[in-house]
Amino acid sequence: MSDHDPVWTSSSGIPLESFYTSNEGSNAARPGEAPYTRGAYPGMYRTKPWRIFQLSGYGSPEQEGERIRFLLEHGETGFIMEHDRNTADHMYNVDHDEVIARKEDVGLTGAVIQSIRDYETVLDGIEIEKTYGHPGGGVVQHGPFALGCYWSVAKRRGLSLKELPGTGQSDYFLTYHACVTKQQVPTRAGLRFNADIIEFCTENMPHWVPVSIAGYNGAETGLNSYQEIAAVMANATEYLDEIQRRDRVSLVAAARGVAGVSFRISMDLFEDAAKLRAARKMWHDLIARRYGIDNKKAQILRIHSLTAGSAMTYQQPINNIVRGTIMALAGVLGGTQSMGVSGYDEAISIPSEHAHQTNLRIQQILQEESNLCAVADPLGGSYYVESLTSSLEEKAWEFYEQIQNQGGFLESLDSGWLHARAHENQMAEQMSIDRGIKAKVGVNVFEEDVCSFEIDGFRSGSSEWENAKARLDNLFETRTEHLAKSSLSDLESACRGDTNIMPAVMAAVDADVSLGEIGEVWRKVYGNWNTPISL
Amino acid sequence: MTPKKILLAKTGVDGHWRGVSLVARALRDAGFEVILTGMAKPEEIVSSAVDEDVDLVGLSVGGHIDVVNRILVMLEEDCPDTNVFIGGAIPPWAAKELRAKGFEVFTPGSKLEDIVHSAKRLTA
Repeated sequence: MSDHDPVWTSSSGIPLESFYTSNEGSNAARPGEAPYTRGAYPGMYRTKPWRIFQLSGYGSPEQEGERIRFLLEHGETGFIMEHDRNTADHMYNVDHDEVIARKEDVGLTGAVIQSIRDYETVLDGIEIEKTYGHPGGGVVQHGPFALGCYWSVAKRRGLSLKELPGTGQSDYFLTYHACVTKQQVPTRAGLRFNADIIEFCTENMPHWVPVSIAGYNGAETGLNSYQEIAAVMANATEYLDEIQRRDRVSLVAAARGVAGVSFRISMDLFEDAAKLRAARKMWHDLIARRYGIDNKKAQILRIHSLTAGSAMTYQQPINNIVRGTIMALAGVLGGTQSMGVSGYDEAISIPSEHAHQTNLRIQQILQEESNLCAVADPLGGSYYVESLTSSLEEKAWEFYEQIQNQGGFLESLDSGWLHARAHENQMAEQMSIDRGIKAKVGVNVFEEDVCSFEIDGFRSGSSEWENAKARLDNLFETRTEHLAKSSLSDLESACRGDTNIMPAVMAAVDADVSLGEIGEVWRKVYGNWNTPISL
Repeated sequence: MTPKKILLAKTGVDGHWRGVSLVARALRDAGFEVILTGMAKPEEIVSSAVDEDVDLVGLSVGGHIDVVNRILVMLEEDCPDTNVFIGGAIPPWAAKELRAKGFEVFTPGSKLEDIVHSAKRLTA
């Protein structure tokens, strides 16, 4: 690269002109009209502002419930339960030897939730019939347990599942691509779980989003903007092909269920906003063309945006409030339906209460003070943004075809192909920061800091393992053992057969079967995924 | 000359591989032999370091600093001559403690070439 003629590109490498004049990509359709490039709904934020939807939780179920109630009292309009990753992601109880080996880590990333009783503790005092809930289960193999517990709590409260609002996740990107767990079911077994959840919700829970594909996690691993959109579409294709193959529920209703996804919003303001526009268009085309579905609700992609944790710096962390604001703005300009902002202390520790509050305030300032809710798709018609939107769409379809040529999304995970694509980008990005080609304020430029205080990072206690072990012992002592055991064997039969596993999961958790025991069933029936990368 | 051996180990079962895989690649490119332990338990990390007779151990921290401290004590007992360096999203207070004990600590924002230089110095 010569100093006289620097190459300007978007973050995904799209070459950029110094200004744009033509409007080739421009789309005359209005917001809320197919192909929905300009927005999912006609009135957009005038009708309904985006949902403020933040991750929350740590420590004990009591502490997690407290933090969720804190956020709800401060203006959050939905909540996401965070689980201890050592136990939840691996489907281990705290007495598993992998957990005992690192007892101190327990409770650090979320509450240890091993049973329906722990769910009842977290949810105590929260009106789940009125609050949009995400019970955890971000990880594919954890999804059935998390949903089973949450729905069973609702039933115990006498609520109808038909009315219950919320979302599952069961996301492949999280533990098969981004943050690979030590032990988990093979991807095909995961597809069985997710298709069962989609079918169960399609039949019983019209206000529940069954699964939510989290492109965010793929992007944080290194996929660029168009690779992220393409991989999300390829993942949805696996779900919808499976639902179509099974032919038990309406494909239209299932497509509507799968149409709630998340994307990462990072520091390329216009490309990230354009990404959401391109993704909506592609979803419309995928549903209309590949599946021939002519149903508005199924054709509309509903987007949850998360600001990139990886954009947050360890150095001069207060600057991250600015980064969070810029990223959140991109999500709003792109027409997101809900959003979570990462904490300014993200690179340092799990978020402090103050970082949580600041995340809320960033969103509230955008929503209440900045007049952003007045007009839908404010970037529509911008020569530049329309051009970026078309370029991203074109490149994303190319990448989608590459994934299909690998044998589809799951095969591209099993073989490590999708990891290799991310790794290439990781290396390129790291090099460009290390060499000062890509500026990172406080990291490779403007490193001096006159601030006299530093953020020390959230400190957690380390007695959570003992607390969780005591709750587990109590569960085993006080439950009706024969009911627990018979429901476990029913669950195993359901797994070995081809009926929907969710009723059996709900019966099991209702009989006080624990997280780890359900994990044992998974391991016995399905075995383990063969991780394609070394780490 | 036989290449120097480095064991890279994740201290927790949090499988974020982005950081450790970049470091592994940079060290290999610089001529080191790199052994990855996956998400081994603390005892397994220490026994790998002993069995493989490595020249340097790199701990990739994802989790509570007390686990790291426990591994450091075990390494000091079982292979006192092996140097250790540490990286990851380590909060400032914990990084300060580790540095006070004489360890090199690489927090987010570190350059790969600085990590490679440190590995060369610690295995010289």
